[in-house]
Amino acid sequence: MKTECVAMLLAGGQGSRLGSLTFNNAKPAVLFGGKYRIIDFPLSNCMNSEIDTVGVLTQYRPYILNNYISDGSAWALDKPGAGVRILPPYMGQKGGRWYAGTADAITQNIDFIDSYDPEYVLVLSGDHIYKMDYSEMLQYHRDKRANLTIAVMEVPWEDASRFGLVEVNNDNRILGFQEKPENPKSNLASMGIYIFDWKELRKALLEDQDDPLSEHDFGNNVIPALFEEGQRIFAYPFSGYWRDVGTIQSYFDANMDLLDDSIDFDLTDKNNPFFSNNFSRHPQFIGSDAEVKDSLICDGCVIFGKVEHSILSHDVHVDENVVLKNCIVHTGAVIGDGAILENCIIGTNGRVPADARYIADESDNPSEIHVLNS
Amino acid sequence: MKNTLGILLTYPGDNSDLRELLQHRSVGTLPFGGRYRLLDFNLSNMVNSGIGKIGVMSSSKFSSVIDHLGTGKEWMLSRKTGDLAILKGSSSTRIGEQLKINLRDLIDNIGYLQKFKGDTVVMAGSNLVTCYDFNEPYQIFKKNDADITLIYRENEPDFHSLSNDLFLTLDGHRVVKIDRFHERESENKFVDMLIIKKSVLMQILESAENSGEWDMMDIIADNLTSLKVFGALHTGYINRVTNVERYYTANMDLLDYDILKELFMTNRPIYTKIKDNHPTLYGDDAVMSNCIVGSGANLDGDMDHSVVFREVTAEEGSKISNSIIMQKCSIGKNVKLDHVIFDKECVIRDNATLIGTKDDPIILSKATII
Repeated sequence: MKTECVAMLLAGGQGSRLGSLTFNNAKPAVLFGGKYRIIDFPLSNCMNSEIDTVGVLTQYRPYILNNYISDGSAWALDKPGAGVRILPPYMGQKGGRWYAGTADAITQNIDFIDSYDPEYVLVLSGDHIYKMDYSEMLQYHRDKRANLTIAVMEVPWEDASRFGLVEVNNDNRILGFQEKPENPKSNLASMGIYIFDWKELRKALLEDQDDPLSEHDFGNNVIPALFEEGQRIFAYPFSGYWRDVGTIQSYFDANMDLLDDSIDFDLTDKNNPFFSNNFSRHPQFIGSDAEVKDSLICDGCVIFGKVEHSILSHDVHVDENVVLKNCIVHTGAVIGDGAILENCIIGTNGRVPADARYIADESDNPSEIHVLNS
Repeated sequence: MKNTLGILLTYPGDNSDLRELLQHRSVGTLPFGGRYRLLDFNLSNMVNSGIGKIGVMSSSKFSSVIDHLGTGKEWMLSRKTGDLAILKGSSSTRIGEQLKINLRDLIDNIGYLQKFKGDTVVMAGSNLVTCYDFNEPYQIFKKNDADITLIYRENEPDFHSLSNDLFLTLDGHRVVKIDRFHERESENKFVDMLIIKKSVLMQILESAENSGEWDMMDIIADNLTSLKVFGALHTGYINRVTNVERYYTANMDLLDYDILKELFMTNRPIYTKIKDNHPTLYGDDAVMSNCIVGSGANLDGDMDHSVVFREVTAEEGSKISNSIIMQKCSIGKNVKLDHVIFDKECVIRDNATLIGTKDDPIILSKATII
């Protein structure tokens, strides 16, 4: 069996900066944009890029994620000889251990990748929101005769020091790396999307495995080692919408971007849809005294109160006299009678008692986000 | 109800005023309630009652049934423990014939019935809106070692009656007389759902072929002394779609939250074909009041007391009330709609006005452009 390109999706992260949203749930399985989960974005990109073999590397609270990915049919990844596979750490004859770093997660699954005998391996993160055709990046990788291609995007200079940066020459060949530098020499940030020649990556991973000083991390160890060897490493410039949703603030802002007409990232674009795993629910019910505007709302919701500029996942119940403004409400939450909430994230199955008040008043920081969980 | 076969009966409805909505479908596949088809109710009821083998009878317009049900995956009927068959109904009903249950449909599928190894068959109409547990009548059926159990309603003034509707006279639970509408002696109306022993069904089929009597219910009515026929009372919400008025009121009933809860928010979900749509987007100008809305819609108008299906778009300034707007309809700016029923994919251009009445709603057939 031969597959040209296998995608490996790093979904093991705990995402501790997302606080209580990841208490029971791996970051890639956190809800986004109502019905979606963060992992829908890279998986849908794979589907739209005709990459049909995906390994999902997972180790932190994987139950919801496993259940959600299921047989992969939601992303048409249930093809014979291909498909989506969940790859947790496992025991072998020499014992076993947790994934020690991003590179180690791939090293421990060399057998999985070898079984497809690929030319290329696409490494993806499970915590980014964006739309990208990986097949174009793969063509670029071939055209440049690169050993490694890293997707990059321009970021504002004032934000550059928050990112891993690359310096390039006129041909986009990478001349150097800077990890969150105080004095950035470039504003091209790595997006955490890599295409490797499998032969070269395989060799580098095995060398890295034997290095006792390595943290077994792509950014800190494996890629610098390939760079030191003088391998051909190129930057693939990307200019569309891309957000890392690793913090509460960035998660909140990226959700709210979906309601902003001026931002060119649209879930409702039917020509280029994102896919997700669905099951049957009743249609949305909107009561006589309800008000609903400027919002995204999913099946199974029941709304008796007022919902403005908010995103509601499945099966949310909004009682009478409720006012929700700038809120993100996850599946199954119940907002009690008369509650007034602004700038809140309400977690899955959250219960907000009647007459609860979370409003930004003058003494508060108006942009503070309240995270409410049951 | 493991050893039970479910048969979903077809209701063609060609002679009713629903015809504009039935050009490509029978009543069972009429879109309903924002995302369903009518047959989803009894198909889900059968699955939720533990019936794992189901045949869906279809009329000559069977492509809508196949398109909707596919492999039956959404109803959990495409697994090793369950299966779905789409049965082609007989096309030999004679004009003017008003059979309650046409035995020709079953004769044409005799091989399917013979192959079934269980002992019980449940039959139910595909045009009924109800969330029902067939285990209730099944208990009466088992306890009395009945040949047949007929499910009925008491005194249902709103339930539109057809001339071939049947009314049961009961002695305790036992059915002692079955009358047509005009000769009825009771208000116990048979609601097109029954349980029958497979052996009895096979005998009835045999006698039909010998006698030329093709209405199963007539044969049962004529043999109430030799057959043990019992009645089981249905008490929850039920509606039966036989004409436009019933279709309209059944949809509007869902805007009553108590009815919606009884139909959809129980531990017996009503399944339907799943679409991977985006969440519905409500715009800055949306004014929503008492509506049912499917997913994937894009709504920026003023909508009141209406049933809005998946992937409908309504632009700003549009005003829609008391209406049923099916999948993928597109409503332009400043359009005014009241008491309309639009089939799928209708396009209403800017500034149009269409006003019907409760008794005479405006119906547009599929993909009409105005």
